Amino acid sequence: MTTPSAQVAPAKPAPSADALGLGAELPMATAPAVPFVEIEALRAKEFIPAAKEALGALIAEQGQAKVIRPVFNWAGRNSLFPLHWGLACCAIEFAAAFGARWDAERFGVVPRSSPRQCDLLIVNGTVTWKVAHKLITLYEQMPEPKWVIAMGNCATGGGPFRTAYSVVPGVDKLVPVDVYIAGCPPRPEAMLDGILKLEELIRERKE
Amino acid sequence: MQPDELSRRLAPLLGERLIGVEPYPDTAGRVRFRREGALDLFRALRDDLGFGQFSTVAGIDWVDHREVVYVLWSDAAKQYVLLSADLPADSPRIESASGIWPSANWHERETWEFLDITFDHHPDLRHLLMPDGYAFHPLLRSFKLHEPEELEVKSRHV
Repeated sequence: MTTPSAQVAPAKPAPSADALGLGAELPMATAPAVPFVEIEALRAKEFIPAAKEALGALIAEQGQAKVIRPVFNWAGRNSLFPLHWGLACCAIEFAAAFGARWDAERFGVVPRSSPRQCDLLIVNGTVTWKVAHKLITLYEQMPEPKWVIAMGNCATGGGPFRTAYSVVPGVDKLVPVDVYIAGCPPRPEAMLDGILKLEELIRERKE
Repeated sequence: MQPDELSRRLAPLLGERLIGVEPYPDTAGRVRFRREGALDLFRALRDDLGFGQFSTVAGIDWVDHREVVYVLWSDAAKQYVLLSADLPADSPRIESASGIWPSANWHERETWEFLDITFDHHPDLRHLLMPDGYAFHPLLRSFKLHEPEELEVKSRHV
């Protein structure tokens, strides 16, 4: 029995931006002023001025709004980091959505444990007045830009506890909410649908 | 331990501050006392009768007065005992048990928070389950369920 010798994979051409389906969204990928292959080969201390020059030329050619904003939106919506913060029974569905069966990570959604690493707050459960100021603190600790999803009936409008003495009747009384997900609790598919709705919002973000 | 035995041992200590001991299912009895005798009663139950564990304190709002109910457990006798005292509605105060049983601390905070029964000489009588500054005592009969907007306006503490 012979040991198979290590084989070097034949050099493949780098996939073009069009082949990846990014051409429309990434104007940077079409004919930059300084070819990116050359930038890659530069030493670190030369990289930043060269990248600045390439980007400056591109912006001068196509306009800032058309170049920078789509890139940031594309990157932002494909790497949403929600805060790993479970409030009530919706947190069970939240956890299931990141398990093997629904696998929210295929949309680039990875829960993080620190609000300083997050750009998405998924309020998954009943918010009481006792926990309300902690929710606001967590929201304020998140860096901009940031989004909020109200998951489930309790976070949306207080749910069955709407008139209770201890429950906030809707988390939009505390923080600005971008997407509401109905359900008690919503299934993981509904949560993923809400995240995709949010991605559409981010795609159209102008400012 | 039976109600008559409880009554026989507590009566000399408390005198007329002891109203009576009634039988109550699955317990040593239900001791009804006046609130002036609270501390003497607590000490006697812990030191002389062996009720070393403070299980809980609860309250009842009878509208014209309030009732405070204590539940104690004795490891030696394997028995509960209930204590209850009537408090006037205009000054619902009673001496705190947290100097006798430290575990009474949080139970009394909760009872104060929900039923507005003040425990005198409590070391730290503040909100337990509701945020600081919460304006209501929600388990009182006079508390009405609010419209959400009204509740929001009244709880501007976050």
